[in-house]
Amino acid sequence: MNSSLLLSNILTPPVLFFFLGMLATFVKSDLEIPQPLPKLFSLYLLLSIGFKGGYEITESGINLQITFTLLAAIFMASIVPIYSFFILKLKLDTYNAAAIAATYGSISAVTFITAQSFLKILNISSGGHMVAALALMESPAIIVGIVLVKIFIKSKEEGEKEKFSWGEVLREAFLNGSVFLLVASVMVGVITGEKGWVKLHPFTEDIFYGVLSFFLLDMGMVAAKRFKELSKTGYFLIIFGVLMPVINAIIGIMISKLIGMSEGNALLFSVLCASASYIAVPAAMRMTVPEANPSLYVSMALAITFPFNIIIGIPLYFNIIKAIGV
Amino acid sequence: MQIVKRIEIITNTLELEKVLKILDDTDVSGYTIIQDVTGKGDRGRIIDDLEGHALTNSYVITICTEEQEHLLVEAIRPILKKYGGVCIISDAKSIIH
Repeated sequence: MNSSLLLSNILTPPVLFFFLGMLATFVKSDLEIPQPLPKLFSLYLLLSIGFKGGYEITESGINLQITFTLLAAIFMASIVPIYSFFILKLKLDTYNAAAIAATYGSISAVTFITAQSFLKILNISSGGHMVAALALMESPAIIVGIVLVKIFIKSKEEGEKEKFSWGEVLREAFLNGSVFLLVASVMVGVITGEKGWVKLHPFTEDIFYGVLSFFLLDMGMVAAKRFKELSKTGYFLIIFGVLMPVINAIIGIMISKLIGMSEGNALLFSVLCASASYIAVPAAMRMTVPEANPSLYVSMALAITFPFNIIIGIPLYFNIIKAIGV
Repeated sequence: MQIVKRIEIITNTLELEKVLKILDDTDVSGYTIIQDVTGKGDRGRIIDDLEGHALTNSYVITICTEEQEHLLVEAIRPILKKYGGVCIISDAKSIIH
């Protein structure tokens, strides 16, 4: 791997603030960000990338390649939980295997945003439609995870299970706050076009990098606090949490090459394939598969895969893209 | 003073609406809720570090009569069994005002 690329990724303010957040927790500093603020920053980041994506779609229009990219996004979000499930079943029960598989089938918007900022530093452009791909990849894994549980839980256990409402689950999967805000912001960006973009530019662009840095400071603290939980996961899941993103990213890069995506779009697509959800999926899994242990699927996504992707994963996937010649 | 049963329920926040419906169906006179409580139970630690409420608990306190207590316990037991949480019942006195 090109070490200068890895170093230039690490030496950016957002990633350094992420380290700082981790350090603050490890040295037991009393640094604390008041709880509503990280939530506000997260909503701001989703609104900004959604709005920007919507505006860029109006500029680029929809073509065949964009359609293929969006179809590939749905395909990957559906297939990743299936093969992940069978790998996880080697060591885990059906409930935990399905919940973790769904977590890795879905995506992390913050990882995507960090990859966008990495591309910006390298002056590499990406398409606004990738935000639509992000929104499309959030939910299918939840449905696949639930279907896997339904298929693999023996009928006598099924009889004992309390039935859940599919309506509630689908609402949580497709209308949870993050997905709703992201999709709505894309639509606002499409509707308002150039005029809206100019008006909101100081809010959605100029302060974006600062907010991302502050948000990653909080995420560093959150990830470090979850490290303690990793003692329960065991080596198999820790290795899974590092290797699975790389495998998923490589498959994503192959698909990108097949479709003929640009370098920037290929990186964002591979990052979407490689990331794991810690917002939409935990809510849906808690509701539908309460037998699964959240300490496993949340801690793996937050304390292993998220830091791995933003520190090593993003430059690593970019190097693979360069090497393959997407 | 009135002799009552004090009911304290700690439940997953996603299940709060179901618990409140049970309380309403049992005709308790009212309840107080504290949301996003954290701690540790037999299903591990509850940490309030995510954007949503999916992994946090809510604390509900109410009072009821002995007859209502039996109805409440039977209705709440399946939720506790599936999602975890606790329901503590104790004897208490309430000031009549």
